Amino acid sequence: MLPPRSYMTEYAIDIVNVTKRYADHTAVRDLTLRVPTGSVYGLLGPNGAGKTTTIRMILNIIAPDSGKIHIFGRPSNDPKITERLGYLPEERGLYRKMQVRRVLKFLAELKGVRGKDADRRIDEWLERLSLKTPEKDWGLSKIDELSRGMQQKVQFIGTLLHDPDLVILDEPFSGLDPINSQALKDTVVELKKRGKTVIFSTHLMDNAERLCDSVCIIARGEKVLDGTVTSVKEEHGQRNIALALEGDGLSGVAAILRDNALVKRADDSNRFFEIEMAPGADPQALLRRIVESGAAVQRFEMIQPSLHQIFLQKVGATGVEEGMTGHG
Amino acid sequence: MAKLWAIIKREYLERVRSKWFLIATFFGPIFFSAIIIVPAWLASKSKATTDVYNTTILDATSTGFGHRLAVNIAVDTTVPGRMPTVKVVAPSELTQAESLATREVMQKKKSGYLVVDQQTIAGESARYAGSNATSIADMTQIKSAIRQTILASRLQNVGLDDAKLKQITFIPLDFSTERITERGRAGSGMASVLFGFAIGFLLYLSIVIDGQTIMSGVLEEKTTRVAEVVMSSVPTDTLLAGKVLGVGAVGLTQQILWIATTYILLKLRAPIMAKLGAPAMNFSLPDITLGAGVLFLLFFLLGFIFYSSLYAAVGSSVNSESEARQAASPLMIMIVSTGVFIQPVLLNPTGTTARVLSLIPISSPIIMPIRMAVTGVPVLEMAASLGFLVIGCVAALWLASRIYRVGLLMYGKRPTMKEMARWVSYAR
Repeated sequence: MLPPRSYMTEYAIDIVNVTKRYADHTAVRDLTLRVPTGSVYGLLGPNGAGKTTTIRMILNIIAPDSGKIHIFGRPSNDPKITERLGYLPEERGLYRKMQVRRVLKFLAELKGVRGKDADRRIDEWLERLSLKTPEKDWGLSKIDELSRGMQQKVQFIGTLLHDPDLVILDEPFSGLDPINSQALKDTVVELKKRGKTVIFSTHLMDNAERLCDSVCIIARGEKVLDGTVTSVKEEHGQRNIALALEGDGLSGVAAILRDNALVKRADDSNRFFEIEMAPGADPQALLRRIVESGAAVQRFEMIQPSLHQIFLQKVGATGVEEGMTGHG
Repeated sequence: MAKLWAIIKREYLERVRSKWFLIATFFGPIFFSAIIIVPAWLASKSKATTDVYNTTILDATSTGFGHRLAVNIAVDTTVPGRMPTVKVVAPSELTQAESLATREVMQKKKSGYLVVDQQTIAGESARYAGSNATSIADMTQIKSAIRQTILASRLQNVGLDDAKLKQITFIPLDFSTERITERGRAGSGMASVLFGFAIGFLLYLSIVIDGQTIMSGVLEEKTTRVAEVVMSSVPTDTLLAGKVLGVGAVGLTQQILWIATTYILLKLRAPIMAKLGAPAMNFSLPDITLGAGVLFLLFFLLGFIFYSSLYAAVGSSVNSESEARQAASPLMIMIVSTGVFIQPVLLNPTGTTARVLSLIPISSPIIMPIRMAVTGVPVLEMAASLGFLVIGCVAALWLASRIYRVGLLMYGKRPTMKEMARWVSYAR
């Protein structure tokens, strides 16, 4: 029996002071974070930051050493809660020798969806993702007869078949072809429209920036920052400058950008730069100097920093600790 | 419970649908009826074949000895085609007759020829040459027919009439054997040893095959990460229990199918044996009481739980098939070394080796049912064996579930024994 759907709390996930230690390292240290119900939430961090461990604790696959996790206001080890969760693990696969429909039926049964109801939903989903057409019903094939892309579709279906209120996707974009990648983005948007909560982990900041309402950046098992994407940008990004140049004269500009009195850091993409100003420096002074150097300025714009910039700034390139599991 | 059922159902149905299950299910009864029919057929080989009738007797005695011998070889002259051909030849023509007879054997018209002469009547020698010369049974039959004929000739010479002669020399001895155990008569000795062997082999095979099946199943779930999806829906203990029960049910189904088809084949044994040209034999399966049947089942289930939970633990701790084979070698050694003792235990089911092995949980699931099949086991020993096995199962399940739930989430290099010991100490 599912709890009544009206049973919705302000926070889909409420993690308070959670710590998980392994023999030789601490995977998650004193983590507190809240995921608002109905939001798309990004869990960002380098490999080995503790993302997968956090997700596994949310899913009650492993238990925290200390701290509390509540899902929709209930302890995460409440068996009723698991039926409201949908999970797509990082590296994906399915029972290779099993028929697609049977795999899906099995996954549905594990989430409390049975019999005709399960069959009906499987048909709907197979048709929706064009795995079942008048010409060919892939549902009757074995998993290993499907292409990689089709297997990924089957895995989405398995995650969403029981219409979960909270969908957890671990590195969902890794290994997806562009078409499935787009399909996943569409699905995330649609889930949000239907009031579902989606949390996904990723180290691809572009996806996170476009899809997420809120994010949490973790590194070395600890929270670095969290909040809505807008507030994170406002609080943590000094106003940055986007600079695009035309033609020659790049060497002169390069010298200007190395001036620490003016520029704290510059992300150099050859003809495009994202520049973080040094504290107290005047952007107008920078513009003047670039123009004086003879470079042809195509674009000079005050922008909010990208999540990518904030991430690099807060975590740096050294934010990786060897995870016990090799990922997460 | 519904989720446990979903796991059991998946394990069961996927395995029963597999080709391997079909092959094993067909192969099993063939194997077991072979165990039962081949010895019977070999035993029938110890009776003379029809080859002895398809021979030529070259009679150089000029006393009609050859004809009397032919009657004795045929035993029953009313059956057509059972009389060897008799050729009366002069001693001087013997060489020529022999080369003719040799050619007939080479052309497969005859299976052999027998030369009888004055020395045969004297009881000194006779010669046989043929394609069945190595068949002990055939040669024994011919030899005893010659002896009988010589004896008859001698008795005739001292004045006995034909009727008396038949009365004295006719000895249709049917020699049957039966073994006696502490419980009393136990059916045919051969049958109960075969039965014990079949039981032992069945359990041995089931544990090895199903153990490996569980191991590679767990490994597949781990490497495809299906395990994580399942673990996010059900507790790991439920997953482990569902696996062990599901695959156990497959093992049980297979055994029931094996036993049923073997039983049917046994019922059809007489016609099959007749086709093979062997006479029907007295053959009865040892009486199995309901209680003994339940005990067999109990030993199978407990032994299965003991080994398959350990195999599941091994499967969860590794990352590839080759690692799994290596990591499973201690289990394999445990099972194979038990298998080595099947024969000694069959030969001496009440010896110290048998009694000790039927107490250790590693070997008792295989050894105890064998002992039960061939001898009486004291109640106290039975109770102790079951008790230790239950304790062994609980320990194995406890250990396995702890390694399992950590191992399934650990990727990368294969853990050392020390690391695995640490997993066991993890809370969750």
